[in-house]
Amino acid sequence: MEMTLEDKGFGQTRRQVIQSGVLSSSLLAGLLQEMLADADITKISDDPLAPKKPHFPAKAKRVIMLYMTGGVSHVDTFDHKPRLYQDVGREVKLDHPEIRNRPGYEHIFLKRPQWEFKRYGKSGTEVSGLFPHISEVVDDIALIRSMQTDHSNHYNATLGMHTGSFNFARPSIGSWISYGLGSFNKNLPSFITIAPAQTYAGTQVYSSDFLPGAHQGTLVVPGSEPIADIKPLVASAEQSDELAALARINSRHLAARDEEPVLKARIKSFETAFGMQVAAPEAFDLSRETEATHKLYGLERGSTKGFAWQCLVARRLAERGVRFVEIIDTGSSGNWDSHGDMMDHARLAMNVDQPIKGLIKDLKSRGMLEDTLVIWATEFGRTPFNNSADAKGREHHNWAFSCWLGGGGAKPGVTYGETDEYGIKVATDPVHVHDFHATILHLMGIDHKRLTYRHSGRDYRLTDVFGNVIQGLLA
Amino acid sequence: MLARSDFTISARITLAVGFALLAGLNCSAQRANQAEFFEKQIRPVLAQQCLSCHNDKIQSGGLRLDTHSGLLKGGEHGPAISIGSAAAGSLLLKAIEQSGSIKMPPGKKLPASDIEAFQKWVRGGAAWPDVSASITASPAASHWAFRPLRRVVPPPVHAAARVRDPIDRLVFAKIESAGKSTAPDADGHQLLRRLSYNLTGLAPTPEELTAYEIDHSPDRYLRAVDRLLASARFGEQWGRHWLDVVRYADTAGENTDHPLPHAWRYRNWVIDALNANLPYNQFIRDQIAGDLLAKQKQDDRYGSHVVATGYLAIARRFGHDIDQDMNLTMDDTIDTLGKSVLGLTLGCARCHDHKFDPVTAKDYYGLYGIFSSTRFSYPGCEPHQEPRDLIPLIAPELAAKRTKEAADERTKLQAQLSGQASIALKQARDLKAAAVPLSTVIAEGEVPDGGARELKEGAKRSLDALTANTGDVLQLSISPLMSHGADSTLVDMTIEEIGGRGRKWSTSDLVDNLSSANPRADRFGNSATWYFLDAQDGFAMLPESMAAVESRGELSAWRNGDTPSVFANSSTQPVKVWTTLAARSFFMHPGQRGPVALAWVCPPDLSGQIRIHGHITDAHPGGPDGIGYRMEIFHGQFGGKPISALYTELGSQLHSQLGARKRLAELDLSAAVPVAYGAVDGLAADAKLQKRGDPANLGDAVPRKFIDLLGGDRLRDPASSGRLELADWLTRPSNPLASRVIVNRIWQWTVGVPIVATPNDFGTRGAAPTNPELLDYLASEFIRSGWNIKSMVRRIALSSAFRMSAVTSAKNGQIERFARRRLTTEEIRDAMLAASGDLDLKPGEAHPFPAESSWHFSQHAPFADEYSTTKRSVYMMQKRNRRIRFFAIFDGPDPNSSTPVRDLTTVPTQALYFMNDPFVHDRASRMAARLIGSKQNDAARLDLACKLLYSRPVTAGDLADMDAYKKSLHRGLEPTAFWSAYCRILFASNEFLYLD
Repeated sequence: MEMTLEDKGFGQTRRQVIQSGVLSSSLLAGLLQEMLADADITKISDDPLAPKKPHFPAKAKRVIMLYMTGGVSHVDTFDHKPRLYQDVGREVKLDHPEIRNRPGYEHIFLKRPQWEFKRYGKSGTEVSGLFPHISEVVDDIALIRSMQTDHSNHYNATLGMHTGSFNFARPSIGSWISYGLGSFNKNLPSFITIAPAQTYAGTQVYSSDFLPGAHQGTLVVPGSEPIADIKPLVASAEQSDELAALARINSRHLAARDEEPVLKARIKSFETAFGMQVAAPEAFDLSRETEATHKLYGLERGSTKGFAWQCLVARRLAERGVRFVEIIDTGSSGNWDSHGDMMDHARLAMNVDQPIKGLIKDLKSRGMLEDTLVIWATEFGRTPFNNSADAKGREHHNWAFSCWLGGGGAKPGVTYGETDEYGIKVATDPVHVHDFHATILHLMGIDHKRLTYRHSGRDYRLTDVFGNVIQGLLA
Repeated sequence: MLARSDFTISARITLAVGFALLAGLNCSAQRANQAEFFEKQIRPVLAQQCLSCHNDKIQSGGLRLDTHSGLLKGGEHGPAISIGSAAAGSLLLKAIEQSGSIKMPPGKKLPASDIEAFQKWVRGGAAWPDVSASITASPAASHWAFRPLRRVVPPPVHAAARVRDPIDRLVFAKIESAGKSTAPDADGHQLLRRLSYNLTGLAPTPEELTAYEIDHSPDRYLRAVDRLLASARFGEQWGRHWLDVVRYADTAGENTDHPLPHAWRYRNWVIDALNANLPYNQFIRDQIAGDLLAKQKQDDRYGSHVVATGYLAIARRFGHDIDQDMNLTMDDTIDTLGKSVLGLTLGCARCHDHKFDPVTAKDYYGLYGIFSSTRFSYPGCEPHQEPRDLIPLIAPELAAKRTKEAADERTKLQAQLSGQASIALKQARDLKAAAVPLSTVIAEGEVPDGGARELKEGAKRSLDALTANTGDVLQLSISPLMSHGADSTLVDMTIEEIGGRGRKWSTSDLVDNLSSANPRADRFGNSATWYFLDAQDGFAMLPESMAAVESRGELSAWRNGDTPSVFANSSTQPVKVWTTLAARSFFMHPGQRGPVALAWVCPPDLSGQIRIHGHITDAHPGGPDGIGYRMEIFHGQFGGKPISALYTELGSQLHSQLGARKRLAELDLSAAVPVAYGAVDGLAADAKLQKRGDPANLGDAVPRKFIDLLGGDRLRDPASSGRLELADWLTRPSNPLASRVIVNRIWQWTVGVPIVATPNDFGTRGAAPTNPELLDYLASEFIRSGWNIKSMVRRIALSSAFRMSAVTSAKNGQIERFARRRLTTEEIRDAMLAASGDLDLKPGEAHPFPAESSWHFSQHAPFADEYSTTKRSVYMMQKRNRRIRFFAIFDGPDPNSSTPVRDLTTVPTQALYFMNDPFVHDRASRMAARLIGSKQNDAARLDLACKLLYSRPVTAGDLADMDAYKKSLHRGLEPTAFWSAYCRILFASNEFLYLD
C-alpha cells in the first residue's frame, strides 16, 4: 500500500510500519500484538541510530548522492571552453600526473569537445548537448566548475570523494552523516547505496570503518532481491510462528538475567528486522507509482534496470526517512572512463540524463527538494588535451572538474568557480573535495570540525584537518 | 553531542562495565579525563605561550608556570591561581582574559576557546599530572604507562575463602573497596561453555560435556583448562586475536587488491606458535627479525623463523604502482608495530612530533630507516603483476640445490611427455581426420547465451527413426563460439530402441555413474557404451576422473585439465558453483580450442531403429556467447578397428601420462622451494626526515634508533637493517610497555574485558587502567614466568575472578558479576557449522587463488574472488578492499588497520541474517537431520540440541517452550520441517549468541 507521511519529509514510525504490515497480512497479527504490547522491550536507550539534533538549524534533512563512476569529462558536459574549439591541436606543456614519465606523452595537444553548449533557464547556465534533460533543471542546481581532488587514480580519487581520505580506509560520508544525525525510520537502514556493480574502491565507499557498525551502508543491488537476507525463505505464517517461539524462549532467558539491556536490544532487533521485511519490499515496490511518474523518470513499468529505477527508488527511500541514499551508475568497468573514445560518454549520459531530471522535478513537485540535498559527483574530470590532436579519448584529470548540488539549501541557479581558458586548471574559487564535504555537512546542519570520532588515540573527521564551507554555494 | 567517544556508544561498553574492573572506574576515569584535558587543552598552551618567560631558569615577574607549586606560590603580584571558591578570580585567568592591568600573553590575546579551557581547568581544581614535577621534565616520568613496573603485593581481602590465586586478591580488593561483593562461582555448564569459547572459540562437544558431567572429582575444572590449553583449537582462537591486532589479510590492499598466495604460512605460523606456547618475547623477536635469527641460528626452525616475518610483509600496499607509495607502507608498518607491541600511536609522529605522547618525528624516522633498510616481499600490482622477493623457507645454499633438482626433473618430464603426447596427439588427429568426412550429421545448431534448444530444432533428418548397427557411434559435440568461458552446458538426451527390448539410454543414467568405477557401462550389462571425448584437436578420451569438483562431493567429472570436461550434479538440490548447476543433471564443457563430445556406441545386441530426443541448455548465462552443438553418426571401422576401440586405446595412453603431468603441475605450484611472504635485509641506510610527512620534502637523515622514551639506543651494527637490535630493545624487561600491553591483551582475551580499555593506546590519550595494581602484577609475573602465555591464561582461567557467575542478580549494582558477551563473527559461524556436523577441523592451508601466471588484475577488474569452505573461520580468505559481507555484519576485524577490541553491536541486519540467510537455513536443516538421525523422540532431540548450542542438558522450560511452539503451529509439520524450523529458532536465541 502507498503510505502517507506523518510529517513532511519523514516517514512513519516503526510501529506504524509494523501495523501496516499487520493490515497486509492478518496472519502476523498475534505475534506483533505480543511484541508491541511489551513496552519495555521497545524502550532501548542507547540506540546508535536514534535521531540527533544537528549542530545548527539547516534545511537539508537527507541526501541523495548521484555518483558517476569513471571520471566525467568536465569540458564535454558542464564547463564550456570556447577556446578549446578554436585552439584544437595546439601543443601545451604541463607537468601533469597522468603525463609525467609516460612514454608516448612527450607532446600533448588540446582536444576539441564533441558536443556543443547552450545556455539554459533563467540562470543561463551553459550545458552541453550530452544532457538535454538536466539542462531543463539548471535553475534548481548550484554548479561547481572548480572542483579539485588529490589523486588521478580511480581507486584513490573514488576513495577520496567518499571518505575524504585518498589512501586509507576511513568511514564514508554516508556513515558520517548517519553517525551525526541518526535515522528517522527504524525499519530501514539509515544509509543505503544502490549500485549495480562495485566502484573502484570496492566496499569502502559504503563502509562505516571505525564508526559503529550501525552506520554501515546497506548495499542494494538492482534486481529481484535488492537487499540481502530481506526475503523470507519460509511462508510468512511459519515465520511468524518461529518468531513467536523465539520471543518466548528469549523472554524466559531474559527474566533469569536481570533484564539486561543488551539482551533486550537483541530481542528488539528481531522486531525491527521483521518491520524491515515489510518496509523494504514496500519501498522497492514501484507498482503504485503512477504512469506519469514512470514517464517522468523514463522508466518502463516493471523494469528494475538502469538509472531510472535507481532514481525512483532513491526518492521512495528518501521519502521514507532514509538519511543518506547513494546511487552509483556503473561499476569499475564500462563506465565514464573514456580513454578510447569520448563518444562513449553519450551512452552513459543517456542512461542518467532523464532519470536525474525526473528525480529533481519529482522531488520539487512533492515539496521535498527544499529539504533533500541532491549531490552529483564523479571522481575527477578528463584532460582537455591528449597526446595527439586527433586522439578520440581523454585521460584522467584531477586538477579541475565539475560537480553540482541541488536543493537542500544549496543556492539554486548559481555557478561557482571557473577554470582557465582551456579547462586545465582552476582559475578562481577552487573547491577541493574537502571543501565539498565541509559544505555538504554544513547544509545538513553539521560543523565538519565538530563531527569527530575518537579512534586509536585521535579524533577523526570526514575532512581530516582540512575543508572550508563554500559560502557561495549556500542559498 | 556529536563527538562521542567510542566508549559511550558501542555495545561493548555495556560489557566493559561488568566484572571486577568496575570498581574504581568512576574515580580513575575522572582522573583520566582530567589528565587528558590537561594534556589536550592546557599543556600545549602553557608550553607555547607561557613557559618561554616563566620556567625554571627565567622567571619573568618572579613567576614560574612549569610546576604546580609555582602556580600556587605565584610571583610579584601574588598567587597565579587560587583553588576553590576564589578560583574564578585567579590572577592567571584575569591575565589571559585581559580584564585587569596585567595582560598576557604580551601583545596578543589567546583564542576564546583556550581562555574557556583555562577557566574550566582552574575552577576544576587545576589538576596537574605530577605535582612534584615540572611539566618540562621528561613526560616518561609523568605518565603511568611509561613508568617502570611497580612491585605489587596482593592485599588481604574479606573474601579470603574464595581466593584461589593472588590475582583474586587484587580483583576482590577493588570490588570490596567500592563496597560491593562478588558473584559466586558460575554454574558448571555455564563455566565450561565460557571456558571453551574463550580458550578455543568453540563450545564443548556433547561428549566433552558428558565427560565433564559425570566427573565428580574436585579437579575436573582444572583438567578441562589443561585439556583446552593443549588443544590445537587454542591456537586458532588466540591466533585470530593476534591476527586482528596485526591487521592480517590475504590480499595486498593496493588498487587491484592483489592476492597474497603465501601469506597463509604466516597466519598458520601465528596459530602454531601459540599452540606451541612460544615465549612471547621470542614470538615478537621472530616476527620482527626472523630472517636474521634464522641465519644466525641455522637450527631446524629455519623456515619457521623466516615465515614469522610475514608480520612485516603483510603491511598494506597503496596506490597504482606500489613502489611509488612505499612511504605509506612504511607508515603502516610503524603504526602497527607501535600499536601491537608498544601500545603507542607512533604513526602520529609521521608529520610532526606527537602532539600528546613523547614521540618525536626523529624517533619516527629513526624507526623508518630500520624498515626502509628491509626488503619486503613484493605482492605485484597493476603495472607489475608478478610477485617477487619471496623468501625461501630453507637456507640459500639448500634452496639453490633444490631449485636445480626441480629444474632438472621438470626438463626430463617435459621431454618424456612431449614425446608421448606427440604420438598420442597424432593418432587422435588422424582418427578425427579420417572419421569426420565419413560422418553423417543428424542435428546441428547453436544455443544462445543462457538459452535452450530441443535437439529436434536442429535436426537434419528425422530423429524419430534412425538406423543403428552394432559398433556405430552416435556422437554429440558441444563447441565454443566466441569464447569457451561460461560454456557449461546441460545435456539431457535419451536414445530409445524402437521395437526389440525397447531399451532407453539416457544422460540421466550418467548422473550417478560418472563417479563409478566404470562410467562407460550402461544399465543393460554392456561395459562400453558411453565415451567422453576431448574433441579439440583429435578424438581422445578425457583422461582424468575427478571425484569432488570444487570440493563438492555431489559433483564428479571427467576432464583434460580444467576443460574440456563432462560433469554431473548427483544431488537432489541445485548446486551453486561457478554457475548454478541444476539438480540431477549431466553437463559438458568445451575446451579452449574446440569441442567436447559424448559418444554412445551401439551395443552388440542392437541392430535396428532408434529414436533420439532431448535438449541442450547453456547453463552459465552471462558469458559473451552461447555454444554450438552437432550430433553425428560414425558407421563402421577405421583401419580395421571399430572407432570405439580406438577411443579406448587413445584414452589409456593419455591416462598413462597423468602421473607425469600431475608431478609437473606440482613442480610449477611449489616452484620446488617453498617460499614465504616475508622480509629480509635490504640496502642498509638511514632515512631522511620527511617534512610534514611529505616524501618529496626531505630533511636531514636521521640515524636509525629506538624511540627516546624507551632508551633511544643507536644501532651498534649499522651495516644491518637494525631489526635484530630493534627486536631486543622491544622485548627487554626494562621496557615497561611490552609486558603491560601483552598482559592486558591476555586478560582481555581470557576474561573478555581489558584492564586498559584502549589496548592499542597506552599513551596519554588512551584509557587509564581500571586496576593498575593488577596490570603491574600480571606484567611482573609474566616476565618472571619467561613470557609464558599459556601459564598466564591458565592462572587467570583457574582464578575465582574468572569463575564468577554472570547470571546472579546484581542487586542494584551491589554485586560484581562476570561480563556477558556476544559471540564473535567467527564463533557464530563455527558454532553453526559444528552443530550441523559440517565443521572441518583440519587446519586450512593455501587458498585456491588463480595461478600467478594468469594474473592481470586492474583497477577496472580487481581481484574479487570469494572461496567457500567448511573449515574454521580463521582459515577463510580475507580481502582488504572487498570485505566478506558476513564479516561486516557481525563486526569482524578490519583487515586494513589494527583491531584491538571487537565491537559487538546489535543491529537488525544481524537478525535478518538469522531469519533469512541460506547459510543459516542450510545449517538448521543439516542439524535437524542430525537430531532426527541420532535420537528417537523429540525430547531426546531437544536435549541434544541444547547440548550442541547451549552446552547444557534440556530443562522442563525448554520442553514447555517446544510444546507451546508445536501447539501454535498453523499447520502440523513433518519431523524434518519441524526440526529445521526449531533449529533456526534456537540459532536465533540469545542463549546461543551470548556467553554467560
